[in-house]
Amino acid sequence: MPITTTRRRLLAGSVATLALPAFARAQGAVKPRLTAISQWSAGSDGAAITALGKKFEEKGGVWQHSPVPGFTTEMMNKLRAQIMAGDPPACSQLKGPEIAAWSKIAPTVDLDGVVAAAGYEKVVAPDLARLHKPAGKWIALPLQIYSTNMLFLSKRAMDKAKADKIPVTWADFNDLAEKMKAGGVPYPIANGGTRPDDGQKFEAALAGISPTAYRAAIMNLDTKALEGPEIKAAFAQVRKISDWMDPNVGAQHFSTNLKRFVDGDMGMMIMGGWAQGVLRNAGFKFEDFMIAPGPSDNSKPVFLLNADAFIFWQRKEPDLQAGQMLMAQLVMDPAIQTMYSQITGSIPVRTDVDLSGEGWSEGQRRTAAALKDAIASNQAVLSLAHNMAQENGMTAAMIDVITEYVKNKTIKPEQAVTRLAEAVEGAR
Amino acid sequence: MTDAVLTRPGRSAATELVRRLPEYLLIWVPLLLSAAHLVSFALWTIWISFTPSTLVPVAGWVGLRNYTAVTASRNWQIAFDNLLLFGSAFVLLSAATGLILAILLDQRIRGENLLRSIFLYPLAVSFVVTGTVWSWLLNPGLGIQKLVHDLGWTSFKFDWLIDRDMAIWTIVIAAIWQSSGFAMALFLAGLRSVDADIIKAAQIDGAGPVRIYRRIILPSLWPITVTVVVIQLQFAISTFDLVRALTNGGPGIATQLPALVVYDLMFQRSLLGRGAAAAVLMLLILLTVLLPYAAWRYVQRRRAAHA
Repeated sequence: MPITTTRRRLLAGSVATLALPAFARAQGAVKPRLTAISQWSAGSDGAAITALGKKFEEKGGVWQHSPVPGFTTEMMNKLRAQIMAGDPPACSQLKGPEIAAWSKIAPTVDLDGVVAAAGYEKVVAPDLARLHKPAGKWIALPLQIYSTNMLFLSKRAMDKAKADKIPVTWADFNDLAEKMKAGGVPYPIANGGTRPDDGQKFEAALAGISPTAYRAAIMNLDTKALEGPEIKAAFAQVRKISDWMDPNVGAQHFSTNLKRFVDGDMGMMIMGGWAQGVLRNAGFKFEDFMIAPGPSDNSKPVFLLNADAFIFWQRKEPDLQAGQMLMAQLVMDPAIQTMYSQITGSIPVRTDVDLSGEGWSEGQRRTAAALKDAIASNQAVLSLAHNMAQENGMTAAMIDVITEYVKNKTIKPEQAVTRLAEAVEGAR
Repeated sequence: MTDAVLTRPGRSAATELVRRLPEYLLIWVPLLLSAAHLVSFALWTIWISFTPSTLVPVAGWVGLRNYTAVTASRNWQIAFDNLLLFGSAFVLLSAATGLILAILLDQRIRGENLLRSIFLYPLAVSFVVTGTVWSWLLNPGLGIQKLVHDLGWTSFKFDWLIDRDMAIWTIVIAAIWQSSGFAMALFLAGLRSVDADIIKAAQIDGAGPVRIYRRIILPSLWPITVTVVVIQLQFAISTFDLVRALTNGGPGIATQLPALVVYDLMFQRSLLGRGAAAAVLMLLILLTVLLPYAAWRYVQRRRAAHA
């Protein structure tokens, strides 16, 4: 009967198709596959990782990305659950000192070979490289860089203050704020009031006053440096900043007041480079604002590094292993980094990428130039507020003190210094 | 024949079992499962609180170190003080508001059903929604203060949300708005269950409405008041979503509450041991409310049995 024959043929055909991948694996030609988790699900972050996935597929890979929307901590909860179940993703988002902490609870992939083959180490900021090879071997790869202390200036507020010079030092910054106030800008500072936002005000102040003191106190937790005069000066600068802010900001996100910033009701904002993307997405033009490196008292740019990264978890499956190698090559590729940063508004990790092309903004070019200068003068340091300088527990203990100080104007700078040192001792 | 006679009772017992099986399954399986969940996870948390666990649970013994670290931290001290203030203010004020609403509704007024639904409605709203809406209403630059300013009274000031000392009261306000309708419903049921004959007798004796309320109705509401207070207290102790949406513990760390501290330690600072210790401390606070309540219920029941 013709029908039976067809069925039998169909069956035979499908069995053969099913057997094909197994056959291919046996031949050693596995199709690279990558299971990945990150918090990037929407907006420019979602668009960027989707584009990366497309590139992965173009190279013949199978891209299996499961985004966990929300805070980074929620992504971490999923990661923790998967690791404890013995089924980690082939690669996951993770950054800063958390890479070292998490690498102790599950085996990671040794990436030294593929990193050396790409000659990557020479083109990465040394402090950044150190974070991604906690035990001497590369186990994670940085993906993109933001500076957390970029200075955003409202054009209209500058006009009101009859100023056109971008402030270089904190003294310039304070002068300009006074001028804005006198010129009719009600609130010269436009920042929000979330915990990381308050942390950024402090780290920008301290690193701008003395990158050396920042390195010793915040990155190395040196007890003497923590009680040094620079910390007190930084808290005093933060007090000035908080006095120039709209008191109604409360715990608002910085993006809430961007319209008032562009309108010239608010003058300056110390924020990460990502604010450029947020401003542009909100429909504002490049003519509405200026971007410059944050104030630095020795006039050389200070760069507070914040870098997103991928960590690679050990898997036995040959297709996942092949996928990890392909992913590592892609993440280090200058063309991929260009594509990624052009979508998100960050700058590439590689210091040898040319940003003069069309897809880059003036702000991104300035940021990249600042990073180069800062590395040359050893003034590229790791951000506290964005979990690059310390593990989460220590960071949170320090931000507690800073955020309370920003909100409670009865705390004196010298009291804040003592409390910060105590908080560090308590969290050690 | 004998066979059939012998098996008949057995069969009927079996059919009886089959007939009642859904009942047993519906009651015992969920009950045992949830009891096992509750107890096993509580025990697990207590165990973790004595270990040096950070990112992931690990075995080991650190004694009371996690507890001393938590109780010595500023976050926990502020949270505990806030809990005392928030708990007592919220419970008293929401019970009082609920009682007044119930008494007013009890006057045989028209549209009682509509009003009752309106007052009960906030209970149907999620705490996150309540917190978010009140965070807009109470923000001086967006909400009530701005409205009054725009109406012309520019010296009006209502900025508790950004005032460190007053911010905890914004949580009290939002929580009362949310749950006084619940207290009202319980009190209303209590008011309706007072024996009408006693009230009539009092009226015949010439007692006025105030006196009737004070001497007869309110004293008979005593058991319901205890229930309202206990339910609201356990809510106050475990408050999390409301404060997270309204102030997120701010300004600074001025409105921390224990549940926020637990979440923060466990999931933001990755200090599982300390977070577990804070959670066990919360459980102890809850027990200080629930154990006396259980004892009181026991005594009441004993008394009722003797009478």
